[in-house]
Amino acid sequence: MTINHVNIQIENLGNELKKLLKQPNKRLGLLTSIDGSQLITLVLNTDSHSVDVINSDLLDKNSYSSLSASIPQAHWFERTLYEMFGVFPKHHPRLKSVIFNDSNNLILPPLANKTIIRDVNQVDTSFINIEAENVYIVPVGPVHAGIIEPGHFRITCVGETIINLEIRLGFLHRGVEKQMTKIPYAKTSYLASSIASDTSIANSLANAIAIEQLLNIDVSERTLYLRTLALELERLSMHINDLSGMCTDIAYSALAMELARLRGIVFNMADNLTGSRYFRYFIGPGGVRKDCDKNLIVIKKLLKELKNKLFKILFHILNNFSFTQRLDNIGKLSRSLANDFNMVGVVARASGIQYDTRSIFNQGIYPQGIFKIAKENNGDVLGRTKVRIVEIFNSFEILENVLDNIKSGDAKVDLNHKLSPNSFGVGIVESFRGELIHLIVTDNSGFIKRYSIKDPSFNNWTGLAIACRNNLLSDFPICNKSFGLSYSGHDL
Amino acid sequence: MLDLLNYLINRKSATSNDLFADLNSTCITQPKINKACTDNSCKTCVDLCPSSAISIDSLDENKKDIYINLGQCISCNLCIENCNDEVLVPNFSTKTAVRNINDLNISSSANQENLPFRGVKSNKDLTLFKKSLAIRVVSTGCTACDLEVAACFNPIFDAERFGLSFVASPRMADALLVTGPCGLGMHEAIKNTYEAMPGPKLVIACGTCAISGGLHKDGYYKTNGLSEILPVDVFIPGCPPHPWSIIYGLMLAMNYELVE
Repeated sequence: MTINHVNIQIENLGNELKKLLKQPNKRLGLLTSIDGSQLITLVLNTDSHSVDVINSDLLDKNSYSSLSASIPQAHWFERTLYEMFGVFPKHHPRLKSVIFNDSNNLILPPLANKTIIRDVNQVDTSFINIEAENVYIVPVGPVHAGIIEPGHFRITCVGETIINLEIRLGFLHRGVEKQMTKIPYAKTSYLASSIASDTSIANSLANAIAIEQLLNIDVSERTLYLRTLALELERLSMHINDLSGMCTDIAYSALAMELARLRGIVFNMADNLTGSRYFRYFIGPGGVRKDCDKNLIVIKKLLKELKNKLFKILFHILNNFSFTQRLDNIGKLSRSLANDFNMVGVVARASGIQYDTRSIFNQGIYPQGIFKIAKENNGDVLGRTKVRIVEIFNSFEILENVLDNIKSGDAKVDLNHKLSPNSFGVGIVESFRGELIHLIVTDNSGFIKRYSIKDPSFNNWTGLAIACRNNLLSDFPICNKSFGLSYSGHDL
Repeated sequence: MLDLLNYLINRKSATSNDLFADLNSTCITQPKINKACTDNSCKTCVDLCPSSAISIDSLDENKKDIYINLGQCISCNLCIENCNDEVLVPNFSTKTAVRNINDLNISSSANQENLPFRGVKSNKDLTLFKKSLAIRVVSTGCTACDLEVAACFNPIFDAERFGLSFVASPRMADALLVTGPCGLGMHEAIKNTYEAMPGPKLVIACGTCAISGGLHKDGYYKTNGLSEILPVDVFIPGCPPHPWSIIYGLMLAMNYELVE
């Protein structure tokens, strides 16, 4: 992947970026800063497989004119920028808190290079309050009834219909990005694995790709095959899990339990491949940690067993009228809104956007012809479920292809040198939720100065809030499940 | 539809009867100390450990003492893979939970085996929850532990046969099980959940992050584990702990008597 460096002055950034993003082959990947004295914009070119890194120095003292009004994709990024760096976006439509919600917890911007006291009054930590007859509010969380991650939802309803959903996240903030800069680069893959354990492989793969760019090394072909194997197994595992959760939410317990049981087979494969049920610490810069031919035979056998059992159930789901009717036309997200708010992954593809980074940015072996992009046009819960099912079918094809064609050889390169100084490394991976970006910036002596992570959930949480509107309150769990978003990946 | 019903009915029971079985030999696990280390110059394990769980104390010229804090170990297996002398070997046992946090510190001088129910030191009447334990889970981490806790209740491990159950409200709970490093954002929620529980109540820290903060230790958002917020009764090490380890830890909290 080539990285083009561009300098744009901060006062022109809004206009230039708007012009750029009007083109069909450009997407806003990331908007962040290195130490609070500049803005770094990452624009992905989906046709030329390259990345533009736009640097805009902040001339004014820690503030600039907000981009969100003209570029809606940027609104969540700008909110985070103010919290993490103290960079204030002037005239932001609504500068709501993202991570530091409790006014007692409003600490100093942790990633800024100088001490900046944020003006607490500038941050909106409140909720939208609609006061009218027959309007009531259902607050949910952060501690939920099930065994899931913490997040707070405030659902405003008239009768049974949701008129507004407000999502408050940040409960899982751990300071991962800061921690990444404190440790040697060889150890970052371990922390990357535990950002969000359901995307453990995708995160460590993005970390490895970015580090390898900074080291200027190529990995062996066998490594690429093994990485593809792990990434697709993770997708399989989590898509089955999401389908199982969907079955639970529409009270189809028999299938939910059966799918959970079949996921056990994927865990078994993961165990054989990586030694961990959650693929932990498998991928690192330079290669993979474990490599054993004997285990690949076991994986092949398990894959066949899973295919026999799983396909029967997936066809049943697709042909079951009561299943499809329950999900049809619920939680709709139109294509134009999905585009405006930069939806990625399953959500984008269900809304008719043909975008899958596996076909654009190198992240393993995805031969032409075998790799297809699943797409639905309706943008509803059924669409997202169907995209998941089609992706499971695709994953099987890719996995079989990988297992048939895997090359022998070494799967590890020794790393003894330093990262190249003053450089950028970008790792882009299609996790099972969608486009995942790791951006690493090094300083003069080759140490990591800034480590920025953008989880697909970061884009898609806005989509959930939009999709739930005008749906029944009782359909909220189904909408939520169909998006299947991560809290820990977002909060970092 | 009939096909599917036929298929589901004819599936045999998936529940495992091999209680607290050892992990597969392919698994990555936490280390245990096999013997005293004689190579005084070797510091590989200390240098490699991503979470600084290992430290070395040189005793004399060819003898040294290795200390491992299992409460901080993320079971990455690096120390085991790179140990030339087989001093550190994998610990495949799933009976790793302890009641006293000091029992998680192992060293080569005091060769401690993972014996069940050691170090019982608690003011609470432990016979209270002997038959059943209702658990409220609060997640503050990366979800691996949550998924494993949820897996305890799937058809394979079926923790309900031991009298364990998950409840939706803290008002019905006997025990609070917390996963993750407990950042500042969750402090209030954890305290409120604990206060909403009727006494007597137990607190269980599940996973390395909940015990010490693990990789997130000493971060700016006070991610140093559950012990800083609440008194903890049972610690379940592992990153993430295997469902059997979790069930073992929960039964340790119940003081359940296992026939070996």
